[in-house]
Amino acid sequence: MTHTQKRILINNIVMVLSTLSAIIGICFLLWILSVLVANGLDAISATIFMQEGAPPGNINGGLKHALIGQLIIVSYATLFGVPFGILAGTYLSEYGQKSKLAEIIRDISDIMMSAPSIVIGAFVYAIVVAPMGHFSGWAGSIALTIIMIPIILRTTDDMLQLVPSTLREAAFALGAPKYKVIIQVVYRGAKAGILTGILLGVARVAGETAPLLFTSFNNNFLNTNMSEPMASLTVTIYNYATSPYEDWQKLGWAAAFILSMFILTLNILGRLFLLKKKGK
Amino acid sequence: MATIVEINEQKALEVKNFEFTYAGADAPSIKKLTMPIARHNITALIGPSGCGKTTLLRSFNRMHDLYPGNKYNGEILFKDRNILIPKEDLIKLRIQIGMIFQKPTAFPMSIFDNVAYGMRLQGIKNKTELSGRVEKALKDAAIWNEVKDRLKHDASGLSGGQQQRLCIARAVAVEPEVLLFDEPTSALDPISTAGIEELIVELRERVSIIIVTHNMQQAARVSDYTGFMYLGELVELGRTEELFVTPKERLTEEYITGKFG
Ligand SMILES: Nc1ncnc2c1ncn2[C@@H]1O[C@H](COP(=O)(O)OP(=O)(O)OP(=O)(O)O)[C@@H](O)[C@H]1O
Ligand SMILES: [Mg+2]
Repeated sequence: MTHTQKRILINNIVMVLSTLSAIIGICFLLWILSVLVANGLDAISATIFMQEGAPPGNINGGLKHALIGQLIIVSYATLFGVPFGILAGTYLSEYGQKSKLAEIIRDISDIMMSAPSIVIGAFVYAIVVAPMGHFSGWAGSIALTIIMIPIILRTTDDMLQLVPSTLREAAFALGAPKYKVIIQVVYRGAKAGILTGILLGVARVAGETAPLLFTSFNNNFLNTNMSEPMASLTVTIYNYATSPYEDWQKLGWAAAFILSMFILTLNILGRLFLLKKKGK
Repeated sequence: MATIVEINEQKALEVKNFEFTYAGADAPSIKKLTMPIARHNITALIGPSGCGKTTLLRSFNRMHDLYPGNKYNGEILFKDRNILIPKEDLIKLRIQIGMIFQKPTAFPMSIFDNVAYGMRLQGIKNKTELSGRVEKALKDAAIWNEVKDRLKHDASGLSGGQQQRLCIARAVAVEPEVLLFDEPTSALDPISTAGIEELIVELRERVSIIIVTHNMQQAARVSDYTGFMYLGELVELGRTEELFVTPKERLTEEYITGKFG
């Protein structure tokens, strides 16, 4: 076999292997999605959105409490996490730049991003839930905020750094003070990217279960008081899906379906923003 | 010692024994440079790559201050004041000494907002005044006819040459006294280049202009004075028509006849 033949052979083998792997991956994804959609659509109905939790066997059980609880917990996490993440990312890109401090913050943030979320749940349990003496919506939001910050911080940092430095210089050359350069020129240039980071960050925490188990815990009834235990879709999925009751399992599928659609939508929106930006 | 032609006009800027060292560099990139810049004239800076043209140009509006650790020495006089003093008000300085970059730097906003940017920074809010001055600046930059129907559109939709003229409009809108151009046409096609050159010549009526260029024909076409720099020093500053025809320094002659560079 000549050298060229050998190279072509290896090339073909690698191509076949990688194509196969991709197909296997996609098959599993489609499988999960189809089971989810089939079961979810089967379980979903208008009453689900109107009714709160009910004991097994009661046909009037719904997910209203979990939907609203999830929405409140994630909204507060977004409310805290997004401004904090953006400000910290702005510090890294525009002020800290390549300094020691900035590099350390980047490393810590990367470590936090890969930390198992259950660890963060345990941490919030120790510093919020234990001293308060009970689970609460606040504790859940705090846990999700901690998970969200490094994601937003890193995307903001990256996206701001993508803005060409000549654009900043051009604004300075017109006599702009630094904060105006950042707000009026740099943020604008990175708008799509930062927005994508926010959407992906929200999508990521919206799917978290482990940190909520320790913090907001669960509630079978509608509760909008952040100081009380609060239901969420993810914990509800966990509880219902592992229960022995068929009607609860069905509600679990419905919750999984709703949550997946929500996260899918956020991800698609996020990617669309980026595409729109690249198209320009 | 450099050969420097006598300048009888008023001076826009006077560089005196100027030295500039980049952060972390062992040797200065500009060495003991002395150079007058005539007011309401066009001064071209030429010289081989790395000789310090950009470095000198960016000293006039203290652009180097955006990055830590750079060192200035000597004096650059603007209106009889040394602008290199540490407590110089850089915002005021940069309003009076504008800059056009090599690549167009249109901001990610509408055409109108781009041109209005500098004026808004100065606190001009009045709508009629703003739109009047935006129109005038766009006319001055010879781009009004092309954009007057789409002032609200994003500036990124303009061609490279149009964006560069937009940047010139944005810079002249704040009525600076000096405009610095760093190879403003090197990213443009010949037709856009001719348009920008024409524009620069017209602007001379109102502003003093310093233009860095790699293109000696361009320097010859547009400038009144030409400075030839080499290894961080000024070799010769002369009236353009004289410098290109009868250079006083051998180095200048070798450079303009293409013996090196
Ligand atoms: N940011 C920097 N840090 C350190 N040294 C620099 C920096 N920028 C430029 N230099 C050095 O300073 C010298 C002058 O560079 P400058 O960019 O002013 O040259 P130039 O004449 O504009 O060249 P060109 O025609 O290629 O644009 C060069 O030796 C260059 O290597
Ligand atoms: Mg240069």
